[in-house]
Amino acid sequence: MLRSIYGALAGLAVLVASGTAMAKEGSGGMPQLDYHSFAPQLVWLAIAFLALYFVMSRLAVPAISDTIDRRQAKIQGDLDAAEKANEDTRSLVAAYEKRLADTREEARKHMRERGEADSAAAAARLQVLHDKLAAQIGEAEKRIAAQRDDVMAGLENMAKDIGQDVYAKLAGQPADQAALAAKIAVAKGGR
Amino acid sequence: MHSPMEQFEIKRLLHLNLFGIDASFTNSSTWMVIAVILATAVFVWGMRQRALVPGRLQSVAEVGYEFVAGMVRDNVGDGGKKYFPFILTLFIFILFCNVLGMVPYSFTPTSHIVVTFAMAAFVFVGVTIIGFARHGMHFLSLFVPKGVPFALLLLLVPIEIISYFIRPFSLSIRLFANMLAGHTMLKVFGGFVVMLGIIGGWAPLAFIVVFTGLELLIAFLQAYVFAILTCLYLNDAVHLHH
Repeated sequence: MLRSIYGALAGLAVLVASGTAMAKEGSGGMPQLDYHSFAPQLVWLAIAFLALYFVMSRLAVPAISDTIDRRQAKIQGDLDAAEKANEDTRSLVAAYEKRLADTREEARKHMRERGEADSAAAAARLQVLHDKLAAQIGEAEKRIAAQRDDVMAGLENMAKDIGQDVYAKLAGQPADQAALAAKIAVAKGGR
Repeated sequence: MHSPMEQFEIKRLLHLNLFGIDASFTNSSTWMVIAVILATAVFVWGMRQRALVPGRLQSVAEVGYEFVAGMVRDNVGDGGKKYFPFILTLFIFILFCNVLGMVPYSFTPTSHIVVTFAMAAFVFVGVTIIGFARHGMHFLSLFVPKGVPFALLLLLVPIEIISYFIRPFSLSIRLFANMLAGHTMLKVFGGFVVMLGIIGGWAPLAFIVVFTGLELLIAFLQAYVFAILTCLYLNDAVHLHH
């Protein structure tokens, strides 16, 4: 408030000072104080100002505010679209990663199942082989036992023959068959 | 040697009479019309494309618009939007008149008190009407500062009333006196250049160059001050703030 009063006083001082200076010079004073020029100035001020007001309020202001609004909307739209694209990309990446993890898990499961099946088959084959080998071993053992029995039987006969021969040579008479057989059985049992 | 005041003389270029009123087309009218045409060129022709990415002239128009829009928004706030086209017109009209006045051989319509006073009086009357229309008799509380002892009010209320009624004068004389003083100064120093001739004339010539820059600043500044004070007065009327 005070500032505007000072401004008014300063302006008045300039006005009065220059006005009186001009008056002293005798050049008819300030043109600004010539009231004959007031009417045309005011008439044309009104015309010019109204014309500019019409131009501004009807043409310029709507055009500019419309342009600024459209620009703002465009910027906001672009920002939203960018945000949405970013969101989409993020969800795509998440989906991709999930799928990758699933696939990896599935592959691992497959591998594990395959491994289990393989080892089961191998165990079965091993069992078959084992059984076969066991059978062969059993057969072989039976054969060996039979051969040994044969050999033992032969051995008994041989021992009987040798015993008879030795007894005949030593005693000069054939040996008692029953006693010899008992002795041989005792010897065989003692072994 | 011409008088420094001669540049302010009103010359009737075309004698016109409107219902008994002298409506002659003068040198002042010429430059008012040129200001309006140039402002229209910038704000309408410059905006013709309404481009999202503005060109040069469109940028000028938008910067001017945003400048005044920010001024109205900051100083009047809500309820100021209605008056924005008027403030914009006021600012642009005064700015173009002031700046065009810096063109050699041109005329500065705002260097005449009758022009600036007409605008200031219109603002004053308009603001007062808006104030009474919005607040009725309560608008008179503008003259009573809040939280002041009664004894001081006896002193302050008259001061407030005087300062309110001095507004149109301070508003108009500030602009008019600045234009008058600046142009007179330039003319006086121009006279010195001629007087001192080729030997001593360089000093006032250098001063004129610097002072022309200052005058351009003042041309803008006074348009700004006129517009912002109008905004402040409008704020008083709209919001009854102090």
